[in-house]
Amino acid sequence: MNHARELSRMVSRFADPGSEDWARETAAFPLPPEIILYPETAEEISDVLRFASGNGVRVLPFGGGTKLSLGCPPAPPVAALSLARLDRVVFHEPSDMVAAVECGARVRGFQDAVGAHGQMFPVDPPRLDSGATVGGLVSTNLCGPMSTRYGTCRELILGARAVRADGEIVSVGGRVVKNVAGYDIAKLLVGSLGTLCVVAEATFRLYPRPRSSKTVLLGFSDAARCRGAAVAALDAEIVPSCLEVLDERLCAELLPELRASSAVLLRFDGFERATAEQAAAAKEIAAGESAVFIEADDGRAAEIWERIREFPFDDGAGFFCRMTLPIRDSIEVMEDIAREGAVSGARFRCLSRPARGVVLVSFGGREDAAEGARFLEDLARSRSGGIMFCALSSKLPAGVRAWGDFGSALPLMKNMRNRFDPSGALCGEKMFGGEDARER
Amino acid sequence: MSYQAGTRSRSWKPRFASELADILGEDAIISADDELLAYESDGLSGYRVKPVFVVLPSSAGQVRDVVRLCRREKVPFVPRGAGTGLSGGALPNEEGIVVSLSRMNRILDVDVANRVVVAEPGVVNVSVTEAVSASGFYYAPDPSSQIVCTIGGNVAENSGGVHCLKYGVTANHVLGVEMVLPDGETVTIGGRAPESAGYDLLSLVVGSEGLLGIVTKVFLRIIRKPSAVSTLFASFERIEDAGAAVSGIISSGVIPAGMEIMDNLSIRAVESTVGAVYPRDAAAILLVELDGPSAEVEAELPRVNEALGENRAVEIRLAADEAERQLFWKGRKSAFAAMGKISPGYYVQDGVIPRSCLAEVLGEIGRLGKRHGLRVANVFHAGDGNLHPLVLYDPGTEGEAEAAEELSAEILRACVDAGGSITGEHGVGFDKKKFLPLQFGEMEIDTMNLVRCVFDEEGLCNPGKVFPTPRTCVEPGMRKRGGGSAFSEKETGVLF
Repeated sequence: MNHARELSRMVSRFADPGSEDWARETAAFPLPPEIILYPETAEEISDVLRFASGNGVRVLPFGGGTKLSLGCPPAPPVAALSLARLDRVVFHEPSDMVAAVECGARVRGFQDAVGAHGQMFPVDPPRLDSGATVGGLVSTNLCGPMSTRYGTCRELILGARAVRADGEIVSVGGRVVKNVAGYDIAKLLVGSLGTLCVVAEATFRLYPRPRSSKTVLLGFSDAARCRGAAVAALDAEIVPSCLEVLDERLCAELLPELRASSAVLLRFDGFERATAEQAAAAKEIAAGESAVFIEADDGRAAEIWERIREFPFDDGAGFFCRMTLPIRDSIEVMEDIAREGAVSGARFRCLSRPARGVVLVSFGGREDAAEGARFLEDLARSRSGGIMFCALSSKLPAGVRAWGDFGSALPLMKNMRNRFDPSGALCGEKMFGGEDARER
Repeated sequence: MSYQAGTRSRSWKPRFASELADILGEDAIISADDELLAYESDGLSGYRVKPVFVVLPSSAGQVRDVVRLCRREKVPFVPRGAGTGLSGGALPNEEGIVVSLSRMNRILDVDVANRVVVAEPGVVNVSVTEAVSASGFYYAPDPSSQIVCTIGGNVAENSGGVHCLKYGVTANHVLGVEMVLPDGETVTIGGRAPESAGYDLLSLVVGSEGLLGIVTKVFLRIIRKPSAVSTLFASFERIEDAGAAVSGIISSGVIPAGMEIMDNLSIRAVESTVGAVYPRDAAAILLVELDGPSAEVEAELPRVNEALGENRAVEIRLAADEAERQLFWKGRKSAFAAMGKISPGYYVQDGVIPRSCLAEVLGEIGRLGKRHGLRVANVFHAGDGNLHPLVLYDPGTEGEAEAAEELSAEILRACVDAGGSITGEHGVGFDKKKFLPLQFGEMEIDTMNLVRCVFDEEGLCNPGKVFPTPRTCVEPGMRKRGGGSAFSEKETGVLF
């Protein structure tokens, strides 16, 4: 009996090439699996992984399928493991501001559930309204503008129920905000692209939903003044929920009302009086750098933040990179990138999230894209930072790897994967590349 | 252990000392009995073990060479900061050495533009804030020992403090580390950037209790000082009301920088020593600190007052100025020391519970105390549910120390039963390793062992801590495809 058929007996539902919706269900996979498994419980996942580990079968876990292109491309798996049927809120204790949710749940749905109690799960990942799941968020840790104030999934996760590659189900971390008993394995799983364990359920700390929100736009005609304002905003006695710096192309696309060549965007959340005072402080920063200053109304603000949130994924034909740099560098490189674009003709679109040191650069799938990618890789390295490339369709240009350099910690990371998944059932090459698969 | 204590030749110590001296110089090795005394325990002085030697390296290179020597000779080593830990995490190993990082106490770089301070592990916590204070910044984690405890120890224990509710623990403020692994390799994990790619090894190292290697450099995140700070306390006739007020404040949409509760026994202990300001007859006081932009603090204050009123606060006092604010805190910060005035001995625990269970668990602690005939003082970080029950006992009365220990264990069980943790900031160390199975099952502990094996196959780095029983680096189920062992023969049978 082939492995796919054997696996199909372990779950409540599966789809294979004979299924009616096979083409639709496999649309998100660059290389379709032989079967898609839809377990309903962690125990079913456990059966699948135990079998997979024992029989050299490769399994690719996925959530909404919106970010499958992240990481190095995996070799074709036998089975794709959908978390879609694990989608319940396990508990929400409003007075503790803690909730646990199964990983197939949509992030938006989970936010709505806790929002009904005046609380929020403060993340805004790309594809929030088009399928992003809690599991995908944990797996990629690709968070949006709100990470400026609230941090990423790493800062929000308290615990997880996870299935190891050998099928053992473990509850790591806890459900309290402070807990130093044992190693913090829940955080280890964040951003691991599902290569260490399959996370079935995660517990998060929540925040009170703010009573009011203000978004202000600062437009500049001069890059140096934009940089000055971004630095001033970081230094000021304000606590923005979001702080983004936009280059000329993004500025023209997303914020045409500014008629500017670069922009700083700020959002303040909290009590009315506090947001108003901080918006006023931002206006002073704008005045200090001769900027155009606009306070967006709520409707326009929502539109802008959605565009910003989706930005790295908005050009489905191209690819983007995500640099992780020291804070000040993440502002300064905007000018380096603009200069390079002007010289090489690369149509970079660039956004900086300085409080996180994150720089997102999107560029179309041009033939000379590899050259631009090399420039960005060198730039990240020269600023002691990291880089990740992600192709939204087809493949990354030749010579461009999904990850930059993991540095001296690489052997530890490989050893970690080997300890957690010695048989390679969980497609560890997503983290380490095909070269790694051959080594194994 | 992986080394065989009984099989060494009699001359190994002098030979080992001589090799250490080649690396460090004579003045960096402590071997005299009277000098070793100071290193026999950490802040938990009930456990004492004399190490073979204590070494005092001055550089990362020396740490590396010492670790390589230990590995070659199979000598266990225990890293140590200021020795203020409360879980026996730096308790020496009688067949091993202590690596004290106290001489590696330089701040290597103050990089305000990138919000980073690069420090050696022996730098004292408060020195980081002192280095950036003039620029308007500070280092947020503030364990009560912050004037003596070191950054290396903070990283090992993932230390907390009184402002964790809003600002998080050490893990939220460490961007990277350079460390010497137990195999003698030096790695850098993370760095100056707030985020880094790959597996989040940093989250494992912070809070690893010195079991994964020796940290030689730490990249710390500094944050801007808040423009406004308001501190107040409220007194209550029932401690349950104080607990409910904590939830009331949070429900109103306010996240204070800190919220601390002291019960009557603690209040009286503090009042009889430092004579602060708290009403002696209150059943409990709740100390609340708000910080942030001034408009935010001003908007939050009335909400806090309302929540306190709704929960039957008797008296609410807002600190009028910085001097009074310091006075309010002085009482709280002297609480542990003040216990010495009302009891010859005490046993401190560090359990965590969900905030919503405060009243229930405090009631249970009271009942348990009565049953054992012992007094329990409660001083704790109420905002994040981190209890510090102080079990008072007289070491001179036969059986009381044992009863106190038993009571402490029952309190931890009550915390875990409520959905909490056996430790919120002190660590498991040597003291609480036997309680780890209260919170985690066999497979969870096995998974932690996988992590340890990634870093330390031979189990030489701070052995005998955290894990309740010795474990090998080959576990059932973790085998390579084809059924063979994932690990080489020489690794099998290695215990720590």
